[in-house]
Amino acid sequence: MGGVHWQGRWDPFRELRNEMGRLFESLDPFPGARRVAQYPPLNLYDAGDRYVLLVQLPGVLPGDLDLAITGETLTMRGERKRAEGIKDDQYRRQERPIGHWARTITLPDRVDGAAVAASFSNGILTVNLPKAESAKPRQIAVSAAGDESAYVPGREVNR
Amino acid sequence: MSTGDPTFRFRIGLVPRPGTSPAESQAAVEGQEPAEAFVPPIDIHEGPDGLVLEADLPGATEKSLSVQLEDNVLSLHAAVPSFVPEGARLLHEEYRPGDFRRSFILSDEVDRERISAELKNGVLRLLLPRADRARTRRIEVKS
Repeated sequence: MGGVHWQGRWDPFRELRNEMGRLFESLDPFPGARRVAQYPPLNLYDAGDRYVLLVQLPGVLPGDLDLAITGETLTMRGERKRAEGIKDDQYRRQERPIGHWARTITLPDRVDGAAVAASFSNGILTVNLPKAESAKPRQIAVSAAGDESAYVPGREVNR
Repeated sequence: MSTGDPTFRFRIGLVPRPGTSPAESQAAVEGQEPAEAFVPPIDIHEGPDGLVLEADLPGATEKSLSVQLEDNVLSLHAAVPSFVPEGARLLHEEYRPGDFRRSFILSDEVDRERISAELKNGVLRLLLPRADRARTRRIEVKS
């Protein structure tokens, strides 16, 4: 799993700690987890014939995102920009993360790279990763060899 | 929170939901069945007409979002529909799918009648215009 590469001068967690202090700590059930959390947060699901990756990327446009897949490795990188024309001293509170980020995810199995499709909906990126033919579960037909004594219970494929 | 501009003091803060004790409010943040709610991160900056509040609400739609103003408490709640395909098995989880909830105290300097909201790509943008009486006024001094 790759880390997040922040290039901005702003550290979201320092800001949070300084500005919200104890109030924030008292409300945040997992202050420690939040500090080590990777950006962007993602969930991975196995939907049988494909993997589904959901990534929280609010405010990110498809043009600000780069997705690449090699074998079973998915690389995502992008940049989350702050609105233009706003000076630092105009901000009263900054909690939303910004900057360049990159993540590399190793999938449990090979996927069909050419069939990978990604879409954005209301700030959530959905990546559909169809499993490669070789990675799909297969039924192996067992043909009777004619010799009854060679039959081993449990070897037979359940239909 | 520091206010650099003395002509426009604006206080905005996290508050427990009305009618709940801090303990209950914390429980709501940690998540109680059935509606698990998370506190979304926000930015607040000064714009030409007042304050602009932006909140990350990934997955929220216009229909699922409610922004309410009750007395001086502005509350936002966004229900997030599930994006998980039916029957899919979770392999790795870094965020818990759930709703977003957060409340703010508005000062009197906000013109409540003209508050507007816009939701785009999972980001809520609330415009909190300054009330006229809170704007800087130049007072002519006659000699």
